[in-house]
Amino acid sequence: MRTIDDFTRPIEYIAPVDKYLGDIVRKWAEREVMPYRREYDEDWESHRLIEPAFRSLMGELGFQRMLFPEDLGGWGFGHSGSTATIACRAFEEIARADSGIAVAFGVLFWPLVMICSEPHVNRRLCEEFAPMFCDTSDPKFAANAMTEPQGGADIENMEIVGGSTIQTTAVLDGDEWVINGHKLWPTNSGGVADLFGVVATTDPGSRDLDDFAFIFVPADTPGCTQGGPYQKAGMAADKNGDIWFDNCRVPAWYRACGPGLDAMYFKEVISMGNMGSTAFACGVMLNVYEILKDFCSTRTYRGKPLKENDDVAGVLADFARDTDIIRVIAYQYARMLDRPDLYGERWSDEIVSKGRAYKYFACDRAVEDLKKAMNIMGAHGSDRLWDVEKHWRDVKIVQLWMGGKQLCQMEVARWFYDCETL
Amino acid sequence: MDYQELFPVPVEWLEEADVSMASTVAGWADAEVMAGRLEHHEDYDTLLFPAMRKLFCDIGLQSALYPDELGGGGLDNPTAALTLAAVLEQVGRADTGIAFLLANWYALTSVIAIGPDRNKTLLKGSAEAVCGPNVMLASLVLPAYGTDAEGEGFYGLPYQATAKKDGDSWVLSATEARPQCAGSNATFFAVAASVDGMPALFLVPAQAASVKAGEPFKKAGLAASVNAEVSLENVKLPAAHLLLAGEERFRGVLAWYYEMCSAVCSGALLASYEILKEWGDTRVIKGKGQVFKENPLVASLMGEIGAKTGLARLLTYNVARMISQPGTYGPAGGGPVFATATAVFRHVARTAMEAMDSTMELMGSAGYATEWNLERYWRDVKTLETYVVPETVAQTDMARHYFGLKKL
Repeated sequence: MRTIDDFTRPIEYIAPVDKYLGDIVRKWAEREVMPYRREYDEDWESHRLIEPAFRSLMGELGFQRMLFPEDLGGWGFGHSGSTATIACRAFEEIARADSGIAVAFGVLFWPLVMICSEPHVNRRLCEEFAPMFCDTSDPKFAANAMTEPQGGADIENMEIVGGSTIQTTAVLDGDEWVINGHKLWPTNSGGVADLFGVVATTDPGSRDLDDFAFIFVPADTPGCTQGGPYQKAGMAADKNGDIWFDNCRVPAWYRACGPGLDAMYFKEVISMGNMGSTAFACGVMLNVYEILKDFCSTRTYRGKPLKENDDVAGVLADFARDTDIIRVIAYQYARMLDRPDLYGERWSDEIVSKGRAYKYFACDRAVEDLKKAMNIMGAHGSDRLWDVEKHWRDVKIVQLWMGGKQLCQMEVARWFYDCETL
Repeated sequence: MDYQELFPVPVEWLEEADVSMASTVAGWADAEVMAGRLEHHEDYDTLLFPAMRKLFCDIGLQSALYPDELGGGGLDNPTAALTLAAVLEQVGRADTGIAFLLANWYALTSVIAIGPDRNKTLLKGSAEAVCGPNVMLASLVLPAYGTDAEGEGFYGLPYQATAKKDGDSWVLSATEARPQCAGSNATFFAVAASVDGMPALFLVPAQAASVKAGEPFKKAGLAASVNAEVSLENVKLPAAHLLLAGEERFRGVLAWYYEMCSAVCSGALLASYEILKEWGDTRVIKGKGQVFKENPLVASLMGEIGAKTGLARLLTYNVARMISQPGTYGPAGGGPVFATATAVFRHVARTAMEAMDSTMELMGSAGYATEWNLERYWRDVKTLETYVVPETVAQTDMARHYFGLKKL
């Protein structure tokens, strides 16, 4: 009997703790998420049903401590040499149950990558923020405050706009940054996050990457306010809203890495985001494979199980093929991020562009395959009861975030074809 | 230039009355639904119900196919197919779910009211209610796909109900049958069953004591349809409730249904176009000054979206024309028209999804935010695509016609 574990992973790449952590997360997902996920859509605003799953994984099991150094109460994965492959497995397992929870969990680490990940660990900031995440069994969230109302994904489009469209400003006043601006749509906003990593400019309109600043702002900083979450097509576990920074003052040393380095290492954040998105798509595909297998083995057409009709079997085969390929790609890219000595720095244009390529390949295939899966199931494909429609709505959002497909295409074309003006 | 001019249809096929009726419905769409979409929150029981009553009863779409002399709209001949295409497109532009409910209603009432085989007994008996002030819903209960049921089937799809003759009456039974829509609140079901080895369709009033609806189930879209499984426990029906029997007439109902659902998708595409048009005109990317739609990559996708929208509309009206002219193209349930209606529905639904997927990609997070309304059409059209006819069933139906299948 085939299971999701028969889909291929490059075995020599996976992390030493992969099985141990993977088993824990799978059991958590099957116990804390999958029995309840059909009710999540109506819980998008209050998170009454969703919050216990976060509490269990992040606080009680302690996964929110993963990146911080051991001596600060963390698990030390930031310098493990397996950061990405461990994350890939965790993201895959969580997204198999709910990719909204997976992204809320994953984005917790996004700003922390700037300060916890070798070779650019900012020890002082680690010490500052580790207690927030490591000294509690309550779930704690962080968020990257990047997107702004006027420019969407422009901020991620570093090569072309070079930070020149950023409207959020950071002005050094003595030994404090004074931050003003409006951010829109970050994962873990909408009142969730305890800590923001804020993308700002120290010189509005400048294309000088020294002026690109990544500054930490605790959510309870005076002048920092969050709006409520927006309702959207799926991903109820991921809250997105507005954040306003109105003369928010934080210490000057809350800047993650410094002039030039913030912009450089921010691209590593993009790489990690693309790895995560690919892993989410993989987790979704694995679960839909399970559902399809059940449905097509027990439901009939032309007097026999659906899967025994060769027109249906052809579609099922395509689905399994793409699942296998996406899984290999996800782990391959995670390995590339874990071995910069072999593949190049995580913030290099090559690694960023390849991450974009893998992310949009995986998401495009997942979206198309889930549409076909729904078609194979007929009206049942649209029923909440079978969970496929939920995964379809969710993975469409994975496809669109981080600049969507078009930004991915431009970055891939730019690197592979030496485009100079796109 | 508005979308009517941007995406032309063969206007010479439309009567003045068709254009006028579509215009009235467009006015209803703008004023009663689209202006308040964010406030309505897909609340069809309360906030949207007045709009539905206005459309169904005051404007009179509910009784459109009933004869003038019985108080209806008098569209009791096959040319109604074009009228309904124009009207359902406008309803679909406002709300895909309401349009889907109407498509099911017309699938039933077309059998009762149109053509030489119209059911005069049922027409007379139902006219007062259908032409009255209360909203009525109908749902097809078709041979099922994706069940674990066995038994006599229609090309591999088991009927969800059995019909037995009892003197001059019919007795229908079904256990947890799945309707196309409105299982919870339909007024009538049009239930398919086998009679002498041939498909037949029966009118089953939902208020009959032995008709039981299950709990409504949640689904991706089409929230206007509160669907649930229904069971029929030996429901006794008069002879006149046998609406039709025979494969060609049965397929004729499906051809009408597919054509109307194409129109619903076409309307959703027009709404999607309007949303993207506003976005593309006002959004600026890559710094100040570059309007979104003026970016070549964006424009290339917009071109494809526009082409898909225009062609979907054109095909929808063409198949409506074919159905409206049985003297030229043959009956709706005949091989050519049925296969074309199937092909057009599959094509329109699929390309509508493609166009909306691309639109959503262009709009990024606004594409999936409820606030911008697109995501609802996107969910609705995908749900419609899976509900109306399963892909593999449609493919086999088309292959049977185009390639002369003998065994499938």
